[in-house]
Amino acid sequence: MALRETHGPFEGTMSIVYHCLGCGYSMAMLTNRMETQMVRSLGVKIGGQTRAASPMEMLRSNLQGKREEIPAPGQAGAASKCPFTGVVVEAFNSGSMQWTDEAKARIERIPEFVRPMVQRSAEDYARQHGHDLVDGAVMDAMRGQAGRQDSGGH
Amino acid sequence: MKTYHDIAADGGSDVIGQVAEQMARLQDRLAQVDHVVAVMSGKGGVGKSTVTAVLSEALTALEYRIGVVDADINGPSMARMTGVRRHTPIPDGGGMQPAVSATGVKVMSMDLFLPQDATAVLWHAPTQNHAYTWRPMVEMAALRELIADTAWGTLDIMLADLPPGSDRLPNLADLVPDLSGAVVVTGPTAVSQMVVARSITAATQVADVPLIGIVENMATYRCPSCGHQERFLAPASGGESLGEAHGIPFLGRIPFDPRLALAADDGEPFLARHADSPAGHAIMALAARIQHYLYQ
Ligand SMILES: Nc1ncnc2c1ncn2[C@@H]1O[C@H](COP(=O)(O)OP(=O)(O)OP(=O)(O)O)[C@@H](O)[C@H]1O
Ligand SMILES: [Mg+2]
Repeated sequence: MALRETHGPFEGTMSIVYHCLGCGYSMAMLTNRMETQMVRSLGVKIGGQTRAASPMEMLRSNLQGKREEIPAPGQAGAASKCPFTGVVVEAFNSGSMQWTDEAKARIERIPEFVRPMVQRSAEDYARQHGHDLVDGAVMDAMRGQAGRQDSGGH
Repeated sequence: MKTYHDIAADGGSDVIGQVAEQMARLQDRLAQVDHVVAVMSGKGGVGKSTVTAVLSEALTALEYRIGVVDADINGPSMARMTGVRRHTPIPDGGGMQPAVSATGVKVMSMDLFLPQDATAVLWHAPTQNHAYTWRPMVEMAALRELIADTAWGTLDIMLADLPPGSDRLPNLADLVPDLSGAVVVTGPTAVSQMVVARSITAATQVADVPLIGIVENMATYRCPSCGHQERFLAPASGGESLGEAHGIPFLGRIPFDPRLALAADDGEPFLARHADSPAGHAIMALAARIQHYLYQ
């Protein structure tokens, strides 16, 4: 399974699509505004709490307009206001691969907001097809497959 | 495509485990607190916060280690009334440092997190529309954190100043299952007593919290020039009959005293300067009644 794309967060709604590079099977995680907010209100993390909670973590990360001297809890990212971002960030960051200069240059040209997603898909594709580095050929092949899938329609 | 119904349990997030962990943290903290006493009233503005502030001072004078948690998340006033608004809580070890008042009372309040007098208590959300669906949950979580994540140390008594109404007491009782009891504050008017009566019923029937007794506040007024004392409004003692009707002890009445309002506004200890006044005597008598209830 590779993380394929995310939409949002937009006003509390977000969708995260995972897909299988072998057969194209896709699975989407959908959140809606009320669910996200209710989960956030509980002070729990989706995907599980990966570190001990710091004191008044819910209060410090969710209160708007708090005193400046009060530090935000934990590391940035880890203590995101959104209970779902932890799993997504983790998915993006797990296991990185070598890139050729050419492939690096190509990924740099992709708009920043989709870059991590494409990067991750390329690495997953390379791994699935027995490559230990991402080069221009891997990216071409991945593009070809994505094109086929898209034209396959839904 | 896998759907919502195909997801087993909570998908590995262990939400129940995380909530259990939160409650365990709360229990660990409360293990160092002998008694938790709520100060409540169905009616607003009857003096719950003022009574909490002077009671904390009186109990400190009786040599108890006292903490005050401001359970009024949206209208916090304990930091001001105890004169500690300048304290900003910072994380220290396992908890946030509480403020300490001039008389040694440890205080934790939402007010200590807010930058300005007029800053509203707002929570990050994609939209504030339909906040009724989640806001009570955030307030409950905030109250849990104010109690569980404050480095109170060892306390004999923790006083909780509740907002008006009858919905916060069951929340507190959920968080603190062995709540020692609640002190009910009422005003002198019939309207006040009617509203308070409803909250008493809710407290006993829904929250199942033992009621220590009723305090009637601002019922009498003493002329500062000649010392003549009279009832403010109602001719008879409503607080006393309210207690009788519900089988709850009447703990006494605190007279109206402008110096009490001034002390609360300025965050100055009241008893330190006016212990020898009718209001001072009434407050000390109230503290003694509560002491008796808790320690027999
Ligand atoms: N015995 C008293 N004599 C004089 N003033 C008093 C007395 N008790 C309370 N006050 C004043 O009455 C006002 C309301 O009191 P307080 O804020 O304690 O009420 P409350 O019940 O906590 O209100 P809320 O429902 O908003 O939480 C305050 O300005 C306070 O100083
Ligand atoms: Mg109050």
